[in-house]
Amino acid sequence: MFYDLIIAPLTESATQRALLGGSLVAIVCGVIGCYVILRRMAFLGDALSHAMLAGVTAGYLFMQAFFNRETHAGAMLVGSLLAGLFTVTAISFVSKISRIKEDAAIGIMYTGVFAAGGLLASYFSERIHVDIYHFVMGSSVLVIDDSELWMMAIVAAILLAIVIIFFRQFQITSFDPVMASSLGISVIAFDYLLTACTSLVVVSAVPLVGVILVVGMLVTPAATAYLISDRLGRMQVLAAIFGITSVFGGMYISTWVGKISTGPMIVLFATLQFLFVLLVAPRYGILADWLRRRSMVPQQLVEDVLGCFRKDPKAALSKSVVNKYVSAKPEEIRRAIRWLDSRDWLDVDGDQLQLTDTGRQEAVRLLRAHRLWETYLQHLGMPETELHDRAHVLEHMHDEETVDYLDDKLGHPLQDPHGADIPIDEVKLTSGSKVKIANLREGHEGTIESLEGKLTGPSLTVGGHIKVGPRKENGEVWTLRLADGRWVELDHSAADSIVVKLD
Amino acid sequence: MSTPAIKVQNVTVSYGPTPALLDVSFEVPSGQLVGIIGPNGSGKSTLIKTILGFKKPDVGSVELFGEPADQVRGRVAYVPQHGSVDWEFPITVRDVALMGRYGKIPWWRDASAEDKRVAREALEMVRMEEFENRQIGQLSGGQKQRVFMARAMAQGADILLLDEPFSGVDAATERAILDVLQRTKESGRTLMVVHHDLATAAEYFDRLVLVKQRLYAYGTPKQVLHPELLSGVYEGRLKVFSSLSHGDAPAEVVGQVKESKDPTES
Ligand SMILES: Nc1ncnc2c1ncn2[C@@H]1O[C@H](COP(=O)(O)OP(=O)(O)O)[C@@H](O)[C@H]1O
Ligand SMILES: [Mg+2]
Repeated sequence: MFYDLIIAPLTESATQRALLGGSLVAIVCGVIGCYVILRRMAFLGDALSHAMLAGVTAGYLFMQAFFNRETHAGAMLVGSLLAGLFTVTAISFVSKISRIKEDAAIGIMYTGVFAAGGLLASYFSERIHVDIYHFVMGSSVLVIDDSELWMMAIVAAILLAIVIIFFRQFQITSFDPVMASSLGISVIAFDYLLTACTSLVVVSAVPLVGVILVVGMLVTPAATAYLISDRLGRMQVLAAIFGITSVFGGMYISTWVGKISTGPMIVLFATLQFLFVLLVAPRYGILADWLRRRSMVPQQLVEDVLGCFRKDPKAALSKSVVNKYVSAKPEEIRRAIRWLDSRDWLDVDGDQLQLTDTGRQEAVRLLRAHRLWETYLQHLGMPETELHDRAHVLEHMHDEETVDYLDDKLGHPLQDPHGADIPIDEVKLTSGSKVKIANLREGHEGTIESLEGKLTGPSLTVGGHIKVGPRKENGEVWTLRLADGRWVELDHSAADSIVVKLD
Repeated sequence: MSTPAIKVQNVTVSYGPTPALLDVSFEVPSGQLVGIIGPNGSGKSTLIKTILGFKKPDVGSVELFGEPADQVRGRVAYVPQHGSVDWEFPITVRDVALMGRYGKIPWWRDASAEDKRVAREALEMVRMEEFENRQIGQLSGGQKQRVFMARAMAQGADILLLDEPFSGVDAATERAILDVLQRTKESGRTLMVVHHDLATAAEYFDRLVLVKQRLYAYGTPKQVLHPELLSGVYEGRLKVFSSLSHGDAPAEVVGQVKESKDPTES
């Protein structure tokens, strides 16, 4: 069974040639195709393949008329290249001298040349023994003779040599043409070279899959590789590999099923392969995206769960209590809890949840942000009933700079509009840290580190020890006890200009 | 005092977890040419978009002539950045100017003679009337800017917001655009312009807004272009400070320390 399906076809020399030739074509298609998609030239590949019909027919007629020879591969190749060259020149001519944009110019010229080829072939249909249908749609059974195989090998060798030698030039002219030309690399020259390479690739791929499907060979394996590569070289290698698997897959399937054309099967295989990779690609794939989104816990939800511990950060809460406080689906809450657990912000013990030290710090920071936003909104004159809900939305902005700004602007308030204490940023007020007196609360002690700005009144000395007393006059006046037991009062600006190193 | 043309009040705007603008407030009286300065990513474009009503503030409000910004239609015009226009679009200078009238032409009729007259006057104002029939791509950088300013004026807008109109134009063009800005201002309109060059800011504008997430300063160029303020905002990344004419130092804050009794004794 396995032997019949997999090995037996390989023993036939026709199949061997087809697979070998197909793989050679697939490799160059993939490698050049990478540039084609990165430079958005896919339409050009289409134009070139269509122009081939005219080239092949003309080459055929030429050899027949002057040398009386039939189906000369070399002449048809040269004819194709000339037709391709003509089409590309015509496209760039039209789009340069007129306001017609390149995509429209491509559409105009390649259909024109394709139509000319079709007319030529139909007019001389008695003399030309080219199977137009298969030429356009791809052959049903792939027959590659030795001369064709040789040609494919030579084309592949030349193209790979060019791509390898000029890798950097192609890379930079594709990525940043402005910089390339500033380095003295001729962008135009490499544009032409790449177009020439694309023509060669197209010409060698038409016998494999037909005119219409060539673009698929050129673009699809490269695009598949693009999904899983972040580097050009890797992308090219993978594109070649995906091309080869398409050729093998397509040929095997059409052999097994029989009666179906090989060319379309190869391209269809490539397309399905692309869709599969699109689904499962680790970074740019749909599945990965879905998984990422699924595992992503909304910040808001995490903060809401932390918010449950607001009243007493040290208390243990049961999951049902959390479910009651947080308005979200239970499974989402479970994920938020798992996320908090994985960051070590929460200890989960059966049904009981308790904040860890870091979790508590985070909860306190959030609470501080919430209460400062509430105070700020009240300061702007917002009615008391709306404060909580608005602040709940705004507290997602709780980066240090924003919170410190609010704190300073509001004069470092001690309580929020509902009379609840505004906690301090514990992390910033540990022993040894240097902070402005304005940020300190009653009981903090330290030595004066520096005096910035101008101060009036009794002089304070750097290095002197101080202890912070209670705030007076609605919290607008700070009090300090100096080392000699004297007390002083500071206004907000004075408190802001004295930095203390905490004991 | 009359109602200010633009009143930005305690505006906080965010795209994500950190605010792009935080608690920004200022007022621009009618008929002023105001520059917006600040380093890259400091929220200048966001400020323009918020005034335009394109971006809704999280907190705070924007009022134009005393009315909420989102209720004022057609009185604010925006001159887009150069890069966001398809310059090969088949449209002439005259058509672009006429576009300014589109908000006032009902769908069932064509542009009236009156609309065309207004559009033409707007082009005359920016001295582009002789290019009426040119396709917009066939103009110099400064001329392109002027066409879009004409469109704004044909719109009848009293407030013009321009995002970096001077970027990528040569010195002569910059002068020409500035000249149009000045004359637009003299016709009683209010302009806010995002500007990059601190060296010319004092000369070009009546007032400056210095933003970096927060409003660092707002006032006359003399008040705003103070090296201490700027080096705080630009974090010493600019060397032009020394060459700036020194403005007034920001008023010095004096902290007060007083002897007191022991507050813990009741
Ligand atoms: N559409 C957006 N989505 C997310 N962030 C944005 C968006 N636009 C701007 N920002 C962020 O907001 C900040 C201010 O941007 P912007 O107003 O464009 O600054 P400026 O115009 O001063 O360079 C930047 O940090 C920027 O990254
Ligand atoms: Mg900007």
